[in-house]
Amino acid sequence: MPQLTAGRLRRGLTEPLLPVAVLALLAVAAAALDATVLCWAAVGALAGFALSGSV
Amino acid sequence: MLFSPGWRAPVRQGEVLAVFTLGLLAGGALSATVIWLLSGLAEPLPERVRTAAIVLVAALGVARELGWLAIPLPQNARQIPQEVLQFRLRRGSLQFGFEMGTGVRTYVSASSPYVLALGLLLSHQGPVACVLAGVAFGGGRALSSALTFWARDPDRDAAIGARMPWITGTTAVTVLAALSSLLLL
Repeated sequence: MPQLTAGRLRRGLTEPLLPVAVLALLAVAAAALDATVLCWAAVGALAGFALSGSV
Repeated sequence: MLFSPGWRAPVRQGEVLAVFTLGLLAGGALSATVIWLLSGLAEPLPERVRTAAIVLVAALGVARELGWLAIPLPQNARQIPQEVLQFRLRRGSLQFGFEMGTGVRTYVSASSPYVLALGLLLSHQGPVACVLAGVAFGGGRALSSALTFWARDPDRDAAIGARMPWITGTTAVTVLAALSSLLLL
């Protein structure tokens, strides 16, 4: 089994797709629960994160 | 650009990130407030028409991100001048973040921010939902910078570049699914 080094752990925790997955689940779940404010906030965060690397 | 070493070393990078984040959140809040004020103009339109328009725009966003349609974006095709960071780093970072947070002062290269803006404009949400969505937009941009800061990876730009089609594509599909579910069901 490969050793989990600090570098690998850091890389895993800062993986750019991770926030997308979390926010996507949050947005869809909030929509399903009719949590309007939370849904729009999650969509807002996703839209902002989609501009990663853009200045 | 914000976290490169060298001449910025006298100011802690974490401090720069904090001030930059504050600017992003304020910029997002300002744009969302303007959208909320303007959204009253859409209210005379029937709700069904507004909802259909939002879902249509979100679907166009998906088609664009997946490469099915080539839709030019009405973005402000300029970079924020690097001079804002050159002399007063804290104030410059705040200004840099604020301008990025507004979403109208620099490139906006993904479809989802446009869907967000049009969705808020047409759906005429309450002020809390609208401003929180704007603050979250700034927070999303800040999260990207924070992850870059924490990653301490010299190849970070390449890693982000390789994942951008997935990030923008997943985001567009999610926005379509979430807004359709919220507004139609």
